[in-house]
Amino acid sequence: MDIELSSIWWVIGLPLIGFLIQALCGKIVVDALGPKLGKKIMGTLAVLPIAIAFIIGVLITVKLTGWDAGRRDFVLTLFDWITLKSLHVPFEVLIDPLSMTMVLIITGIGALIHLYATGYMSEEKEYTRFFCYLNLFIAFMLVLVLGNNLVMLFIGWEGVGLCSYLLIGFWYKDLANAKAANKAFIVNRIGDWGMTLGMFLLVAFMAGNLDKLAEPGPRWLSYDVIFPNAIALLKDSPGVATAIALLLFVGAMGKSAQFPLYIWLPDAMAGPTPVSALIHAATMVTAGVFLLNRVHVIFEASPVASAFVACIGAFTALFAALIAFGQTDIKKVLAYSTVSQLGFMFIGVGAGGYWTGMFHVTTHAFFKALLFLGAGAVIHAMAHNQDMRNYGRLIKYLPITGATMIVGWLAIAGIAIPYSGEGAYGFAGFYSKEMILGVALGGHFAEWQGQYVAVWAGWLGLFVALLTALYMTRMTWLTFFGKEERWRLAPAEGHAHHDEHAHAHDHHGHDAHGHDHGDDPHRFFYTDEELERRAQAEGHEHHHDLTPEHTPREVYPSMWFPLVVLAILSLIGGYVLYKGELFKNWLYPEGLSLLKPEMVHEHPAGVPLLWLSIAAGMGGVIAGIAWYFRGLPRAEGWDLSKWSVFRRSAGNQFGFDHAMVEAGVDGGGAMARGLWRVFDVGVIDGVVNGVARTTRGFGKLLRLLQTGFVRSYALLMLVGGVALLGYFLYLMNRGVGGP
Amino acid sequence: MTGVPLWMLLALGLFMFCTGAVGVIVRRNPVVVFMCIELMLNAVNLTFLAFARYSPSPMLSGEAVTQSAMAGQMMVIFVMAVAAAEVAVGLGIIMAIFRLRNEVDLDEMSAMQG
Repeated sequence: MDIELSSIWWVIGLPLIGFLIQALCGKIVVDALGPKLGKKIMGTLAVLPIAIAFIIGVLITVKLTGWDAGRRDFVLTLFDWITLKSLHVPFEVLIDPLSMTMVLIITGIGALIHLYATGYMSEEKEYTRFFCYLNLFIAFMLVLVLGNNLVMLFIGWEGVGLCSYLLIGFWYKDLANAKAANKAFIVNRIGDWGMTLGMFLLVAFMAGNLDKLAEPGPRWLSYDVIFPNAIALLKDSPGVATAIALLLFVGAMGKSAQFPLYIWLPDAMAGPTPVSALIHAATMVTAGVFLLNRVHVIFEASPVASAFVACIGAFTALFAALIAFGQTDIKKVLAYSTVSQLGFMFIGVGAGGYWTGMFHVTTHAFFKALLFLGAGAVIHAMAHNQDMRNYGRLIKYLPITGATMIVGWLAIAGIAIPYSGEGAYGFAGFYSKEMILGVALGGHFAEWQGQYVAVWAGWLGLFVALLTALYMTRMTWLTFFGKEERWRLAPAEGHAHHDEHAHAHDHHGHDAHGHDHGDDPHRFFYTDEELERRAQAEGHEHHHDLTPEHTPREVYPSMWFPLVVLAILSLIGGYVLYKGELFKNWLYPEGLSLLKPEMVHEHPAGVPLLWLSIAAGMGGVIAGIAWYFRGLPRAEGWDLSKWSVFRRSAGNQFGFDHAMVEAGVDGGGAMARGLWRVFDVGVIDGVVNGVARTTRGFGKLLRLLQTGFVRSYALLMLVGGVALLGYFLYLMNRGVGGP
Repeated sequence: MTGVPLWMLLALGLFMFCTGAVGVIVRRNPVVVFMCIELMLNAVNLTFLAFARYSPSPMLSGEAVTQSAMAGQMMVIFVMAVAAAEVAVGLGIIMAIFRLRNEVDLDEMSAMQG
């Protein structure tokens, strides 16, 4: 079937239309038709645009594959947006393998998650508001990946940030959620600060070299003009390349939750679970990896910046994996594993294997969306209790969810079975992780002071792969296996401690200040009266319906169907895309622009990588099963005092989040006070008061002339008159004597 | 033309003006100051009249000479009128101040001091 390329506008337009329908008609329809039928109709109207967009995306991708490998990029312009004399910024999209890959992930996974959400959110009162935000998110995300210039990228970048904020705070009446949303937004602002600076620097660099462009023209902010020229221009100025690359990476660090800006992502789990799956695992957080792929020319020109990227990626992967060991909230475990996997992607990108990063984005989208949706199903079945210590043996009650989540678990752990020859059949995560490690270990690109940093990042990554398998096994085993159904065992005790525990996690230990309202010590959100009124209105009602008699029930078909689809993708997706280097040849058919193939390849010499990665995955899983086979160890139970020091500090993020928030809030306050003292009081007030003081000083001097004695005035008048007369006489004399 | 020469009239005017100016500056009684101002005004008047009498412009002739002389004399009438008005107002102010403060020493009237 042939399809016009211009139908790409429908891919962006349909979610936008969906957003408008939800926003404008949603409440009316639900009110008019009753919640049951109304929600069904509005849910369908939310899923359909994304699904149709996905179909269009598939058709365009198929058409794209029919073209020659090197010529698969096409620019479509909708209208001229900014038109200056020497700069045109059209509203244009770039259809190329990279953008279409992202489009397929976003719309494909997005459609599945929308479908899931129609079931998950079915009891939600503000059903249409949820889908309104979700559709808007898809539209912005598509603008981000499809846009053909930095300005459009920035629109999408900020738009998805906004939607992320709105969805994290979807249940905004709960203070913790509102705080999490604010945290996400503010931390992302820090990243965006770097990103905008990087973009400005790139714009300034381009503007300074306009005369050296191959084809001078006003469209010099579009990718198809920037990057071919940047290859030649940046070669001569590696310093500029490093600066631009590092600043853009700061933006990627914010959006993709890299150390030290990862702190927003675990808190973002306050949003509904479909949001965690779609935005905070599968799509939005991978925007940083996408950005680095988009601007890979700049990173290729700067080995130093790439080494930095690999370092940050490796450290984030390790740090988040360690934290995951101390988490009891199932969504938190998945959140830290997302941070850790994003770190993997940046190891690959930093080592120069940009396609490996994108490959992991793709497979991670499959299995992490699956894991999150599965966790959502578990939470849904367990009366919204998210503590893994209250789970156990759930495979008996949730067979479909359990089976699909096991696939997800094995996929993220990177399980594979070797076959004769030098290959292995494995789950999706195995291939992408192995490729990343291969690129890193064989990397001769990311260089800093003569050291191939990526190699060290690769070894660290291999260790983290082991840890990943271990903590994911912990999560899966505690949830689905074991002999005990722990919510029946010690629920009262468990719940009491659960609350305490959650408190210690969620509120960043601000309680230590000793304020009355541990919830909101800085009074950012509510005044005292408002808090009191809320407390009175709600009472001390906690929605813990998880009683010992609770029987979990398998979720609706609309919820398990996406799970099954994602499980199939996690099972075979990696193999299909890996075979014959399909993914690499799709994204980078002609190799990279500056780097030679021998500098970046996936086959490190002298390292039995295949066996090492299989051993890491298998070893982690087997060790995990051995560890948790007998159920929940006492050292991880409800009683926090029995926990080991490592787990307790891991559960507390090793104090990092606490320190960052304290430094941000208190340090920010101290800095603001300092600035006020120096700048406001010193400079601004100084100028204003200085002007006044100077004027008064002059007045004081002039005042001495006003004696009040009439006779002295008369004398002055006389003197003045005589002087004036003398001056006139002088002028007259000169006039007479003059020419 | 006979009679008093021009320089004598001008010298008298100068003497009167200087006397008046010095009087205005050194005396503290406002009435005397007023008299000194009158002296200065009359010195100017005398000068006007002297020039009107003796020194028509060499550029003029016929009727224009008469008009030029008349201009000087008219100026004197103006000055007298203005001086009369000024004395009327000034003496009124002095009376008001005297009623208010029971004295009219100029140096004591320094309320406008800065």
